[in-house]
Amino acid sequence: MVSGPGAEPACFAPWSADTKYFQWDKKDGPYRIAVVNGFVGNTWRIQMIKTAKAFVEDPAIKDKIAEFKVVSTGTDAPAQLGAIEDFINQGFDAIVTIAVAPEGFDRVIRLADRENVVLVPFDNVLDTDTVMQVNEDQLEMGRQWARFVLKELEATGKTSGKILEVRGLAGNSVDRDRSIGIHEIFDASAGPWEIVQVVGNWDDGTAQKVTADALAVHGTFDAVITQGGSTGTVQALIDAGHPMVPIGGEAENGFRKLVAKHAGDGLKGLSIGQSPGLVAISIKAAVAALEGNVMPQLISVPLPAVDYTGLQDGVNFWTDLPDNFFTVNEFPPCGVNISGPAIMAQTEENVQ
Amino acid sequence: MSAISATPRGQRRASALETSFKQNRGFYGAIVLFALLYITYNFLHPRGFTTNVLIANANESVALAFVAMAQAVPVLAGGLDLSVGAVMTLAACIASELVNGDPLRMAFGCLVTLGAATAFGFVNGAIVVYGRLQPIIVTLATGAVAIGLALLIRPKPGGDVDLDLNWAATNSLRDLAETYHLFEDGEAAWLQPIAWVPVPLLILVLVALLVWVPFKRTVTGRTIYAIGSAEGAAYMSGLPINRAKLAAFTLAGFFAGCAGLYLAIQTGSGNADIPQAGAYTLNSIAAVVLGGVSLLGGIGSAIGALIGALILRSISFYFRILSIDPLLQPLVEGVVLLAAVSLGAVRALRVKNRLELFR
Repeated sequence: MVSGPGAEPACFAPWSADTKYFQWDKKDGPYRIAVVNGFVGNTWRIQMIKTAKAFVEDPAIKDKIAEFKVVSTGTDAPAQLGAIEDFINQGFDAIVTIAVAPEGFDRVIRLADRENVVLVPFDNVLDTDTVMQVNEDQLEMGRQWARFVLKELEATGKTSGKILEVRGLAGNSVDRDRSIGIHEIFDASAGPWEIVQVVGNWDDGTAQKVTADALAVHGTFDAVITQGGSTGTVQALIDAGHPMVPIGGEAENGFRKLVAKHAGDGLKGLSIGQSPGLVAISIKAAVAALEGNVMPQLISVPLPAVDYTGLQDGVNFWTDLPDNFFTVNEFPPCGVNISGPAIMAQTEENVQ
Repeated sequence: MSAISATPRGQRRASALETSFKQNRGFYGAIVLFALLYITYNFLHPRGFTTNVLIANANESVALAFVAMAQAVPVLAGGLDLSVGAVMTLAACIASELVNGDPLRMAFGCLVTLGAATAFGFVNGAIVVYGRLQPIIVTLATGAVAIGLALLIRPKPGGDVDLDLNWAATNSLRDLAETYHLFEDGEAAWLQPIAWVPVPLLILVLVALLVWVPFKRTVTGRTIYAIGSAEGAAYMSGLPINRAKLAAFTLAGFFAGCAGLYLAIQTGSGNADIPQAGAYTLNSIAAVVLGGVSLLGGIGSAIGALIGALILRSISFYFRILSIDPLLQPLVEGVVLLAAVSLGAVRALRVKNRLELFR
């Protein structure tokens, strides 16, 4: 452990003022890097894997990487731990992973330290401060949605009312933190606000169904905040003939399309996304650590947020791309410039 | 007996090994397939044939191997247990609460964990036998109950299983001795020839040899096979059908409990992970088939299912060595699995008389 500041603070921003700093022994490149993914089978994960593959071919980093492997173990903790341990045994220099559980990695952390391997969990991070991790601040994301909705409601003269909150996957730290952020802001506001919670699992189909159910029971809401499956949530509002209200949601392409189309009718939305591009920043952080740079223990990637006034077709959403595509992929301060459509285009070329 | 089994003159008497081979083609086939897969993997691995690789692979396989053994017992009796993954998860959540503190407390925690899982298996068996219901439906329901209980115990992932135990149980015998300052910190001369043996492998082999092998030889154990072959005939022969079915599900609960206990020790925590429980149940069925256990019952053994689990794991090891497109990996795994299972059925293509299949 060393003291900060770390390398490239614009890209590798420390989480808070108390964030510790790490430094590894400098190793000579090029490096062998592995990505150990857990669950695979939704658009986000597939986009993440494609982003990783595209990023290591980027001229800026290509020469620093000797070997690059990606495996997906499914939601199986022993298999994920085994894969990480296998890559440590194979002598890989860094391992980037989305943990299937926030606990249980003590053994591989110990082995990685012993073998001087840089282990970088991102997205679903671990409840520990002994490894370098990369994520977006989920608490802050919740706060931003709530602040935005409050601001929009105030503009129409509403300072109290009923809010629909569509939550994510139960038991997950991301779902927990986003919800805490939302409630923190509403609790601080004078109100009174009645917040109705439903569980949409970050999935369009589920979110649409639970939103429809909530509308049937409660009638109307003054605003909606949906953690994910945002396209489905809006679709349910439209199907029920519910008036268009201010909404906070994720960064699915479909959601942004709907907000762009209906903003004039009152669907004033703020879209913030957990980006599949986090994998690229994690790989970049791993390489920086191997080069002997001082790194923050917990790296906070800036929240890619855009509201209805900033939506531009072809720039931050694409009418010709599918609804379930995740719009935010680029992080200019980090030199991660692989746009979503570039990835989609690449696949099409591969197929032909 | 000897008078009956005396062979007619002129006909060679089959040796015991030959008979065993004929009766357990699936099992021996599984061993050969596993040996091929695993030895090739070690040749391809840059640090193949080392203790570290063996330890990592053993750690990864133990929970699945136990769940596969758990699944094998009801399958042998012609049933199917859809709750094994859930019972494993429940056991892991219980263990994550109890396996810490002083050694006596930890031992107590392990016993409670195994006891709870075994009791859960017994309840499964009791509902199947006395409720006269289909095992597949009963265990589908009780599996959901087990997950519910696991969520109640551990709504969020966590727990603090003893870290020394975690390190000792997931390493070689030498590390185990070193952790607890036994046998001159693992340097005793007599220990050296076996010091490399991974503790997880030892646990697996000991449970298989001390629990399954003796059980299989009892009347209850053999009755399980008889039920799977022909329940009516077993009943007419006066075999204890109800007792055997109860025992089959109880033993399944015990093995699932072993899986959960090891999982908790390995990860140092408990996690009521619903998709993971489902994945283990499905994989246990795949392992059972790969290990030469007939899904119709009556043929195979829990040891075979254990080998099946090792085959299943070995296939996935290859993705870390070979460069296969990550998005194609599930497809490749599925095709290899299908091929492996089909190997067992090849014999069916060249039989002249269907009765030959049952010889």
